[in-house]
Amino acid sequence: MKFSAFCTGVLIFVTLAANSRAETLVVNSYGGPYERIIRERIITPFEAAFGIDVVYDAVGSAAQDYAKIKATNGRPGFDVVVMTASQSLEGCREGLLMALSPKNVPNLAHLSPAMASVAGPCGAVHEVQYLSLLYRKDKLADPPTSWAALADERLKGKIILPTFQNTMAAYLVEILSVANGGDLLDNVEPGFEAMAALAKRSIGFEQSSSIMENYIKDGQVWAMPFWNGRAQLLVDSGLPVDYVLPKEGSIPLMATLNVPKNAENRRAATKFVNFFLEKASQESWVTGYKVGSARTDIDVPADIRAKQITTEADLKALHLPDLAGVAARLSAWGERWERDVVAAAN
Amino acid sequence: MAVIALSTSQSPARRDLSVKTFLPLMAPAIVLALFFAVPMGMMIGISFQSRDAGALTLASYSRFVNDGLVLVGFGRTVVMSGLVAVCVTVLAYPLAYYLARSTSRWRTVVLALAIAPELAGVVLRTYGWLIILDDRGFINSALMWVGVISEPLPLSKNLFGVVVGLTHVILPFGVLSLLTSLQGISPNLERSAQILGASRLAVIRHIVLPLSVPGIISSLLVGFTMAASAYATPALLGGAGFKVMATMVYEQVLFYLDWPFAAVMANVLLILMLGVAFVGSRIESRLNQNLHL
Repeated sequence: MKFSAFCTGVLIFVTLAANSRAETLVVNSYGGPYERIIRERIITPFEAAFGIDVVYDAVGSAAQDYAKIKATNGRPGFDVVVMTASQSLEGCREGLLMALSPKNVPNLAHLSPAMASVAGPCGAVHEVQYLSLLYRKDKLADPPTSWAALADERLKGKIILPTFQNTMAAYLVEILSVANGGDLLDNVEPGFEAMAALAKRSIGFEQSSSIMENYIKDGQVWAMPFWNGRAQLLVDSGLPVDYVLPKEGSIPLMATLNVPKNAENRRAATKFVNFFLEKASQESWVTGYKVGSARTDIDVPADIRAKQITTEADLKALHLPDLAGVAARLSAWGERWERDVVAAAN
Repeated sequence: MAVIALSTSQSPARRDLSVKTFLPLMAPAIVLALFFAVPMGMMIGISFQSRDAGALTLASYSRFVNDGLVLVGFGRTVVMSGLVAVCVTVLAYPLAYYLARSTSRWRTVVLALAIAPELAGVVLRTYGWLIILDDRGFINSALMWVGVISEPLPLSKNLFGVVVGLTHVILPFGVLSLLTSLQGISPNLERSAQILGASRLAVIRHIVLPLSVPGIISSLLVGFTMAASAYATPALLGGAGFKVMATMVYEQVLFYLDWPFAAVMANVLLILMLGVAFVGSRIESRLNQNLHL
């Protein structure tokens, strides 16, 4: 009798303890300023609103995270992961990511349909950047207005380019193709020709964006293509740099929230994704991290609106890429890049 | 009957011996099977899958032999690894010889210094070389400041930079390989030769060098295999135009997401290293036989 009473007591205690323990969600994303801002603007308010503890995992790039999801068949140890639209599409195609829809993430209905469709059914676009032209204000008196400015005589030996393994490279080929009479996918010949010409005038290639920015920081480089979110961080740091969206337009980089197919806390994960897409969260994120949004109904200060993608009109300045088409051609473009572009630089 | 009696009396002993012999090997065998053989088998399996449907195919192997850029990368890997192996062995030999023969109290300090680079990570050491060899690095800046050159010398982002960086990374392993071999050569042989009138150079050439050939081969093998599989140093010091097998495998896995093709490249790299190790060990065992005749 005593023993059974003891067992019942233990059982009740364990059940109560388990129920009283807060739900936990593991979010994988980036470190550095990104981590500080996402904790302050998104994670802390989310924890307060839902009583869910968030464990932040800043280990690994988006590509490494995707490889982990693939290697573990959709059970990588994190519940939400920040990647790009390309990885969302690939993960969906391989059945590694959970499909998201307005049924489980109601705020998806408020995203621009054009932007949302680029990422496919498994990626929730929570941030939009674009390929901008970053330049040194103290070296170039007239701000560049066109991608053609990279070919300016003053910039000979003063530009740096990404390696093909940096997503910027393929997008740069595409936008230079459009600027030189080609298109985004099937006629990229003009883009490769323009890239080869630029490579001859560049000081070389770097894969990492953080290494690329060192060149412009120390003045070795005067202009380079760069994601505008990172470019804005450099502007805010007080460096004599600024960036423009060239008149020929640009290609957006869409960051997405994704839930691996077999993630442990999928219910909490969809709550987090939905919370991130709330109007207030998007306004907070756009003003905090200085990026654009796929929600065009947000209210942000004029100075941020002037530089970021926040309206339908802004979207028109962007060439939305067919990411599945790009993925299918990536190997061939990579080979061509090595043969024509890298060879031209050597 | 006698035969039966012999076999019954010996077989339990043999069984005991075999169980006792293999029991300690069980744990490492299981670890090796789980964390080496199984993943290796999976990698070989993936190399025969198609990228999309997972159907069995030889397409990735066919692509490997027909892709000029990949073959250039393969050739570059062989050249780079061969050069690193030679540089490591040439630089390690005098150091290992000093360590094997010296009775100085500085010997321990020199040994510690020879192995010390291993205490710092590969990435850290490679960045150190980047600072030294870069276009605006220490060497170029100093030479330009003195006025010897007007344009930076191409010391990094090429084969030269990678060979320098890898030689530094792998040198301690070469020293240890050679040290073991040189310590096995009796100093009395050298003394005898000198007593009989041989010069110091003749002793090295006709006594020490021939007897240390197994160590030299070991050092070359270690240098080659470690250089062929190195990733960080070629990636950082090689630049965009210097692709070797290890960096190409990384790109296929993380950027192009073509795992079957990455598996093919990894398998080819493995076959290359096994082939080199096999040839090296055959030469080494033949030399050992000749030396002990």
